[in-house]
Amino acid sequence: MKITTHFRKTAFLVAFLAALGGLLGVGGASQVQAASKVVNISYWHVNAQTQGGAAVDDLVKNFNKTHPNIQVSAKYNPNMYQGLMQNLQSAQASNKVPDIVQVGWAYTNYFGSNFKYLTPTAAQSKFDKNSHFITKNFTKRTLSFAKDSNGKLVGLPYSLSTPILYYNKTMLDKYGIKASDLATWEGVSGAAKKIKAASGNYGLYIQEPGDTWAQQAVLLSNGAKIIQKGKAAFDSKKGQAAYQLYQDMVVKDKTALHTPWAQGMDAFVNGKVAIAYTTVAQASHVKSSVNFDVQAITSPHFKGQKAVVPVGGSMLAITAQKTAQQKAAWVFEKYMYDNSSLVTWSKGTGYLPPTSSALKDPTFKSYVNDNPMLKPAIAQIDTAVPWTSFPKNGLDAEQTMIDARDKILAGSSVKSTLKAAQEKINEQQ
Amino acid sequence: MRPFKANGWHLLLLVICLALILPVLFMVANSFKTLQDSYHTMWQLIPLHPTLKNYQTLSRQVALLRLIWNTFFMATLVTLGKLSTGLLAAYAFQYFHFRGKKWVYFAFVATIFIPFTVTMIPNYLVIAKANLLNTALGVALPQLCDATGIMIFLKAMAKIPRSLIESAYLDQIPTHRLLMNIIIPILRPSIISIGAIFFINSWNEYVWPTLILKDKSSFTLPLALQNYISSEGGTNFPLAMALATIMIIVPLVIYMVFQRYILNSISNSGLK
Amino acid sequence: MNSNKQQHRVLTLLYLAPTALILLVFIIIPIIYTLYLSFFDWNLIAPTKNFVGWRNYLTIFTDPVNQKVLLNTLGYIGLLLVLNFVIPYVISIIVQFFIHKMQGVYKIIFFIPSLFSLVVGAMVFAWIMNPVSGPIALFLRQIGFTLPNWTNSGGLAIVMLCLITNWKVFGYNFVLLLTGLGSIPQNLIDAAQVDHIPKWRLIWDVVLPLNKSMAFYVLILTIVQGLQYVFTPINVITQGGPYYGSSNVLYHTYLNAFVLYKTGNASALAILTFVIFLILLFLEIKFVEGRDADAPI
Repeated sequence: MKITTHFRKTAFLVAFLAALGGLLGVGGASQVQAASKVVNISYWHVNAQTQGGAAVDDLVKNFNKTHPNIQVSAKYNPNMYQGLMQNLQSAQASNKVPDIVQVGWAYTNYFGSNFKYLTPTAAQSKFDKNSHFITKNFTKRTLSFAKDSNGKLVGLPYSLSTPILYYNKTMLDKYGIKASDLATWEGVSGAAKKIKAASGNYGLYIQEPGDTWAQQAVLLSNGAKIIQKGKAAFDSKKGQAAYQLYQDMVVKDKTALHTPWAQGMDAFVNGKVAIAYTTVAQASHVKSSVNFDVQAITSPHFKGQKAVVPVGGSMLAITAQKTAQQKAAWVFEKYMYDNSSLVTWSKGTGYLPPTSSALKDPTFKSYVNDNPMLKPAIAQIDTAVPWTSFPKNGLDAEQTMIDARDKILAGSSVKSTLKAAQEKINEQQ
Repeated sequence: MRPFKANGWHLLLLVICLALILPVLFMVANSFKTLQDSYHTMWQLIPLHPTLKNYQTLSRQVALLRLIWNTFFMATLVTLGKLSTGLLAAYAFQYFHFRGKKWVYFAFVATIFIPFTVTMIPNYLVIAKANLLNTALGVALPQLCDATGIMIFLKAMAKIPRSLIESAYLDQIPTHRLLMNIIIPILRPSIISIGAIFFINSWNEYVWPTLILKDKSSFTLPLALQNYISSEGGTNFPLAMALATIMIIVPLVIYMVFQRYILNSISNSGLK
Repeated sequence: MNSNKQQHRVLTLLYLAPTALILLVFIIIPIIYTLYLSFFDWNLIAPTKNFVGWRNYLTIFTDPVNQKVLLNTLGYIGLLLVLNFVIPYVISIIVQFFIHKMQGVYKIIFFIPSLFSLVVGAMVFAWIMNPVSGPIALFLRQIGFTLPNWTNSGGLAIVMLCLITNWKVFGYNFVLLLTGLGSIPQNLIDAAQVDHIPKWRLIWDVVLPLNKSMAFYVLILTIVQGLQYVFTPINVITQGGPYYGSSNVLYHTYLNAFVLYKTGNASALAILTFVIFLILLFLEIKFVEGRDADAPI
């Protein structure tokens, strides 16, 4: 009994101390600001440790060292751009927004119309009147990726990725298939049939994350359009034909794998799928996991059409509300676009740098030589188009397209599913 | 005949044990594999080229001790909170009489049935307004009560013979003494067992802490695990498994120490 | 006398206040706020909310996706009951009455998965059960079978997700039920043996009814906690797909709230779920709490 009372007393004491400790912010970063004007800003990113998180930490550490009057703290948001957007929503609802964030392309319109932010052009004219930072570093084409449906530049393009066709060269060589056979989707389909007949393995896997980026690339490469004049336009003959080829591979020929992203890529790395169509950001993971010769080429096109891909990744947007923070965020943002920063960033994430000068940088060039799978991704940037972002109810629209994909890959009629999806989206535009 | 039958049952139970434990072994085995091996020697529980590299990378990239401390601190705070509030409330329900007791109890128990999607955002707003973002208290505050604790303590208290309580009243022992010196010692097994369960659950919690904790220095282990799961860049499975193995150590130790209580008296009072 | 009553009242308040305050602020008020939000069309951050009356509730019952999700939820509940209630119950009966050694060892081992985070569990199972390249798939292929692609079939995905939840919860429910069985007086068992009553009859006619209240408690717990637990594997592996095939009412609420930001819809779904749970709660209090003669409530 004595011991128990003692235990109880200790327990209450500990609880009291704990509460006190909690109040004092033990275990959390306390913000002791020196009397000098140090501006603290927060940077939200989506880079897990295995996808550039370390690079982000290095960049931030370096910036903090060289800019003693601006201190940046970086926060990782799990679950990619969707997760970041969720956290941003909560932050906005409680009026404690971060100062600079990565916004995924699919969220351009949603972010632009619902959140308070400072456009790059406004930041430049406010804090850098005579510089031409934006026009000097970005081409018009690159900037177009970050414009909302009203043509307003919401942020500066930061991470750029394109989908590329990875293939298991060891397996393809074994069955006499050349990379040149994979230049068209029809060729890919044929190769997949060959692989399946000869080895029983799947021929193709197209990524299936919580968005339809890769599927859009397939449609665009048959000359179809996803959005036209602000309305969904993928239910066209060309769009249907593209999806039909895909569906036949999955449902009829059973040469293409239909499974969530992680499972599909694991199957490819394990040598059970010959070809994988996914983002260049997976290149270093693929390279270090496989035990066969893996290579990549540019996205296929349909016969008679050009290969067109939507660009992936994100932009940096300034969400700070007070001038001091906005200015600090702008300084930090410019630092992130230094050639050396961009090369570090690219090496860590597998994304492509958004500025032409970084692409020409010798460090980057030698990095690409060591990682040849980046080459096709770079080659596609000049012809890439913005990732579709519907002006109104964009999140719903993306979900509708995901649903259409799931239905088609389960066997529903391509024609009627695409038609219904298009109508549903356009009802809300 | 009888031993044969019994062996049949044992076989079934052993199969169940295997099915439950194999994933654990798989997790630990993978934490010692290289990335290539984890893909290409999937079925092997003994790694082909065993390596400590995953653990070394982890200790380099994350402050492991800090993470463990943060998680431990948080879980302890929440557990002590749930235990104290639970005991006080159960005592009140068991030994006090007041109007509307039934309704208050109903309201308390109903809180178990409220899905977390309902409470996430409003709680976040409250914590943010109270300036408790990024603190351990901010994470712990909404979790300081658990109606399941109240229910269990109530059941246990109900088994204490009335005569004991009545004699305490006759001797004019004040309430808090009754609680501290008589009831709690009797309830000790329940307290320990439900406390261990609260602790382990809080240890593994990640949905709510993700909203509140922002700085790496205040992260808990489950949050750090999120850092190693990436759909975009591909998940390094063995690395994640190494962190998962580290995550399980404290709960396992607590389990080994208190399993006698946990497994024997989740609902008994252990009255001697 | 009055001061005694006063003191008594103060004491009651003091003992209940911490719990009441925290539960009120962090759980009860949010659910009321959610009820309020369910009558609006909002996206969580727009400055104005659109009042739409009962429309969100009507959508729940008329939208085919919602109907599918509700149907799935029934499927989940059924499967969870079998896996997390019936099977642990049968096993606990076996352990209690049909074997006489190693009971402690089994208890210890069965409980170990309960120590794990479901995120870890989902990751490990997704890896092991990869339908194309996981170790189970490869092993089955060696002996001539193929593991069906459970990731693109709604029904099979639900089975897999329930199995993952079952892995974690089995031990906990098993121990609860076992404890209940253990509190049945030994002299009853002995008397039955003396009278040569077959074990199965004894269990069916005597043990089960005596254990009813604990069993009912675990039953309700299985449904309520099970649906909340299975959220994590859904989130990690299938995200409710394919085409909502593995989504249930809890996940769909999350999808509406935090992926599509249709706060009104999500709130209506949440209230619906809560009402269903409340009914279960009412049944639980009636059959479980009410059984205890000493119960204060």
